[in-house]
Amino acid sequence: MIVKPIAASRCPRCQRVVVPAARHCPDHPVSMEPASVPGVGEVVSFTTLHSPPEGFKAPLHIALIELEGGARLFCHGEGTRGIKIGSSVGVESLDNVFYFSHMGFADRARLFWRRAGAGGEKVAAITKSLAKGIWGGRSRGDS
Amino acid sequence: MTRFGRRDESLPDLIAEAGLAALADAGIERPDALVVAAMNPEEFTGAGNYASLINTHLGLSDVPALRVETATSSGVAAVYAAFTAVAAGIHRNVLVVGGEKMSHVPTPRVSEIIGRSVDPHERTYGTTMPALAGLITRAAMHSRGLSLKEMSQVAVKNHANAMRNPLAHFRELVTLETVMESRLVADPLRLFHCCPISDGAAALVLTSEPSAVRIAGIGQGMDTMAVRYRSDLTSFRATQKAAHIAYAMAGFGPERVEVAEIHDAFSPFEIISLEDTGLLPVGKAGRATLDGETALDGRLPINPSGGLKARGHPLAATGISQIVELCWQLRGMAEGRQVAARVALAQSIGGLATNNWVTLLEARA
Repeated sequence: MIVKPIAASRCPRCQRVVVPAARHCPDHPVSMEPASVPGVGEVVSFTTLHSPPEGFKAPLHIALIELEGGARLFCHGEGTRGIKIGSSVGVESLDNVFYFSHMGFADRARLFWRRAGAGGEKVAAITKSLAKGIWGGRSRGDS
Repeated sequence: MTRFGRRDESLPDLIAEAGLAALADAGIERPDALVVAAMNPEEFTGAGNYASLINTHLGLSDVPALRVETATSSGVAAVYAAFTAVAAGIHRNVLVVGGEKMSHVPTPRVSEIIGRSVDPHERTYGTTMPALAGLITRAAMHSRGLSLKEMSQVAVKNHANAMRNPLAHFRELVTLETVMESRLVADPLRLFHCCPISDGAAALVLTSEPSAVRIAGIGQGMDTMAVRYRSDLTSFRATQKAAHIAYAMAGFGPERVEVAEIHDAFSPFEIISLEDTGLLPVGKAGRATLDGETALDGRLPINPSGGLKARGHPLAATGISQIVELCWQLRGMAEGRQVAARVALAQSIGGLATNNWVTLLEARA
């Protein structure tokens, strides 16, 4: 599990943060400023599509995740086993697509130490290559 | 309105059938203006410039016509455009027509066209309308205790009502088991929780002359196109705002409503909408549905027509057809499914609850 920051935008008027980065705040007609948010959050809800639209493979697992800081985003996932509303997940972008994955105890502990200022970068690099192996060329099409 | 379902006629013919019947009912040959609702005739039928196409097809080529579109609530948006014109004194009689023809198009393509009312970024994740409805349903089951049985009973009830409506798409009973065991579409949402693909048209005349039913209030409410921008998944801000505006205009609240047509594109939406409109207290609509309170012979009959689930959902026809049904109810013309009511409410959802409407109708003494 790697926790990389995700590019976002912040409204200078209401401080709302949105992902992915957007030009205007949904609530104020003002330009937003660049921001970034950590790639960890909680599952708001999720579903599995058994007849997904063209360009996607069934079953298609989709989750809405609320990242720390309040921004929500849609993600694809490997599966929903063990996932519940409120579960802690990690989110990362591969080829501009967001994926969620369950955070086990070890992940959360590592996150805690990272936040506390410790390292963990080596573990992160190894996990990243593993994640790419699993997710590379998965269920997603062009549409 | 026309019979809903699979129809062989063209969309202009369906709209003409509904429109001419409404004019005849109102005793008018030539309205002052025409408002046409069609969500996506360009993609479904290949025709454009739809207001002009319809006014010429109806033999009203010199009558001012415009087209209105707010996704799946387009029909009520057209009623609103006509209402404001009559209320402002610009026109005396306005014909509102709306319809959709899509059963000739393959289902995946229909889903894709309707799915374009979802935020473009979110759509790249495969979030069709049923997918988003599935997410909302799961969240509602988690946070407000909505049960599979409660939302399935909505479909059972609406099918039972449609048995009594000769214009309904489905005229067959379904059992709770059939609904609860139908195949998963977007977990936990099942096939029998979803409305069908229907053809059909509906029409009504709005007039400044005295008539049997009046629009007591009409309100529009909006929410973000992107579902990820919303903080609450399990109630629709757009419905709540629309209801607030409609009640304020009418000068009365939900306690006076005796019958309602609710946008049950997905069965759980009927339960959510009953609470968003204030017709039932938050957290009570599911139980009330199971207890039969919203059945045709219940305390507050909901969707006597059969709703979107069983009457059918020809997109832009739907919002108008809800108001037509309620006019028939208030005028004592809903043969076979008549309820006793003087005040009625219609609620319509556009897109994934981005552009919703609430209309209040009152029978004149």
